Amino acid sequence: MTQADQPLRIRTASPADDADRAVLVRLADGELDALEHLYDRYKTMAYSIAYRITNDPTLAEDVVQEAFLGAWRNAARYIEGRGSVKTWLLSIVHHRAIDAVRRRRPTTGLPDPTEAAVPAALTMPDVWAEVSASLDGDTVRDALAGLSDVQRQAIEMAYFGGLTQLEIAERTGTPLGTVKSRMRLGLLAMRRALDGASR
Amino acid sequence: MSDRIVGMSETDPEAVLTCDDVREMAGAFVLGALEPSEERAIRAHLASCADAHEEIAELGGVLPALAEIVPMIEPPPALKVRIMAAAAAELAGREGARAPAPSSEPIAFPTPSARAERDALRGRPSTGTWVLRIAAVLAIAALGGWNLLLQSQLSAGQAYEQAVAQVLRSASQPGALTAILSADVGTGSGLAAVSSSGDVTLAMQDLAPTNGDQVYEAWVIGGDGTPVPLGSFKVGANGTASFTAGGLAATAGIVLALTREPGPGATTPTLPIVTKGVATAG
Repeated sequence: MTQADQPLRIRTASPADDADRAVLVRLADGELDALEHLYDRYKTMAYSIAYRITNDPTLAEDVVQEAFLGAWRNAARYIEGRGSVKTWLLSIVHHRAIDAVRRRRPTTGLPDPTEAAVPAALTMPDVWAEVSASLDGDTVRDALAGLSDVQRQAIEMAYFGGLTQLEIAERTGTPLGTVKSRMRLGLLAMRRALDGASR
Repeated sequence: MSDRIVGMSETDPEAVLTCDDVREMAGAFVLGALEPSEERAIRAHLASCADAHEEIAELGGVLPALAEIVPMIEPPPALKVRIMAAAAAELAGREGARAPAPSSEPIAFPTPSARAERDALRGRPSTGTWVLRIAAVLAIAALGGWNLLLQSQLSAGQAYEQAVAQVLRSASQPGALTAILSADVGTGSGLAAVSSSGDVTLAMQDLAPTNGDQVYEAWVIGGDGTPVPLGSFKVGANGTASFTAGGLAATAGIVLALTREPGPGATTPTLPIVTKGVATAG
């Protein structure tokens, strides 16, 4: 079955999503207690992701601070229907963390002063149709374990390591086109596995 | 850093991509693993392509699931303080930017009902309330080990923090009221807590130093609008003060105020009010 044959499964909103959206409305209005609510709810996941990527508690704190303040300033830009508030927020954390490690990595070089320091997508990331919110960590780990070692490695190096496909190709001694395919096919296999698990 | 030609070795990354190019790079795109030039090229393609390129959404939707397998680690409590303080400062800046010009109306003791009306009109907690709540978090963090108070030579700021911590220990007790005192004339602002047993604890900063016998007298104004003296204190060159007194009725809406008096023992306030605030349960 080709991708085009299979309709994209989009998860439906849960009561928690509705509550989060109500908080986001207040956040867009600049209400500090909404920010506190959001922080209390997602601080552990946010910090854990930031720490997993940066492996540096101080940098992870900076990332989480930037992410929550970014969400607070940009709450009005959240687009309903493009993922839950949780996904939106954690995407911001992820992108900020990736940006932080890239800046820290000497091989990445200094940012070009003539170019925007942070790409738009890293400031406010895209959010795509997510798989079911009911998936737990074990299901995701199983889906990841179902990939080939090289697919899993490519995805993990990009998502958790913040490496570009070129850097992954260089570090693994793999042709760039192969790295690209591993990422695409690995994510596709995960999508299929997760969609299957959530049915 | 110039744009490097990577990932599309035969083509200029800024060149127009085909749909097949985009599909091939979809995984790296959603993972954020492309070079900026490649990412721009894909975004340009998506913006103009008739194909919805559902593969982008399909692959990108896996990313939130990846976040589920990260080992959970609690952030340090101080991080919340930093974030809320930064947001409060930003909000105060925004509100300050749209604050009206100072009023030329004569200064009068506010009555609790007038203040309650204003608060009702506002419809949500003031920034000041939030400053207090943030300070409360700060104080809790201090009790948990933050080394805020242990220096023998305290600067004005540190002395104030110490006084605030004292206020907040009182404010954290059940049934306590809190108040933000802001300057009516000149400078002088601070926090106050009124415990359920009627003890008031006050932390002030930016007060003009007292000279000779001069004192600041603290007043409480209840529902009948009559100021009742609580006691007095002197202020040194650093402008900070910590003050405690007892015997109040801990009723939400009471006003706490300071006046500058020629000496201790005033029974009626010498206007103008220097600073004042309303005690609330928030």
